[in-house]
Amino acid sequence: MSDLQKFQRRERYSHGFRGRTRDSFSIVSNLDEPHHDDNAQLAVTMENTYQMGPYRRMPIPAVTDILKDVLTNYLHEAKYEVEWSQGMTKTICEVIRARVKDLMIPRYKIVVLVHIGQLTGQSMKVSSRCLWDASNDTFASYSYKNSSLFGLATLYAVYLE
Amino acid sequence: MDEYQTEEETAFVVEEVTKIIKDSVEAALGGSAYQHNRVNQWSTSVVEQSLSQLSKLGKPFKYIATCIIMQKNGAGLQTSCTCFWDNSTDGSCTVRWENKSMYCIVSVFGLAI
Repeated sequence: MSDLQKFQRRERYSHGFRGRTRDSFSIVSNLDEPHHDDNAQLAVTMENTYQMGPYRRMPIPAVTDILKDVLTNYLHEAKYEVEWSQGMTKTICEVIRARVKDLMIPRYKIVVLVHIGQLTGQSMKVSSRCLWDASNDTFASYSYKNSSLFGLATLYAVYLE
Repeated sequence: MDEYQTEEETAFVVEEVTKIIKDSVEAALGGSAYQHNRVNQWSTSVVEQSLSQLSKLGKPFKYIATCIIMQKNGAGLQTSCTCFWDNSTDGSCTVRWENKSMYCIVSVFGLAI
């Protein structure tokens, strides 16, 4: 599915409504709901692989280098602007995903999260927690900061069992 | 081959996950104003609560939950995500919650085993 279609679907599923607490509200967005296409080609049934673990693990130092390289290249001496930043988070996401896919590590699913924010003396906390198999699944994270903005990229690699 | 769980029981249902996230955020932050020394505790409790509720659904998923809490002072923040996964089974859900003094953005990704 192209990026544009995905974005439009995302818009369509966005709802705004009031929360239960006064003075607060929430907005939900999600990618297209998972579904099975009726007209998709029949699923190919593969033979059992009898493979119990990954032949190659996700190389975290190499992935961190990619995150560092991409963030530094794109955000170096940049000034924070809303529209530029909206496009930039998406671009950086796509670039990181493409470069990690180029590492050709089989049987790993990838989730890339990128945040770009303005620095105006506010405080902010990003935390994450995962329910997964800690021996095969892993993550990498890198943050970049200059005088007007910060960029934070996190990549989660989950082994497909 | 026998199917032990129906498709409905093993799918990533966005409404269900949305409700879990909202309940966790409301339980942790509902009605509070931004306090720097409590942010650690809040963000931990939001992700922990969401993950424990998700695991109680008993679905064959690995979950990733992230929570961002930011003080409101006019600063901008953009976030985006891309995924490389099986579109027919895996899903994501993001909830943006705000009150007068802070923003809270919670994203949950479910990856089928």
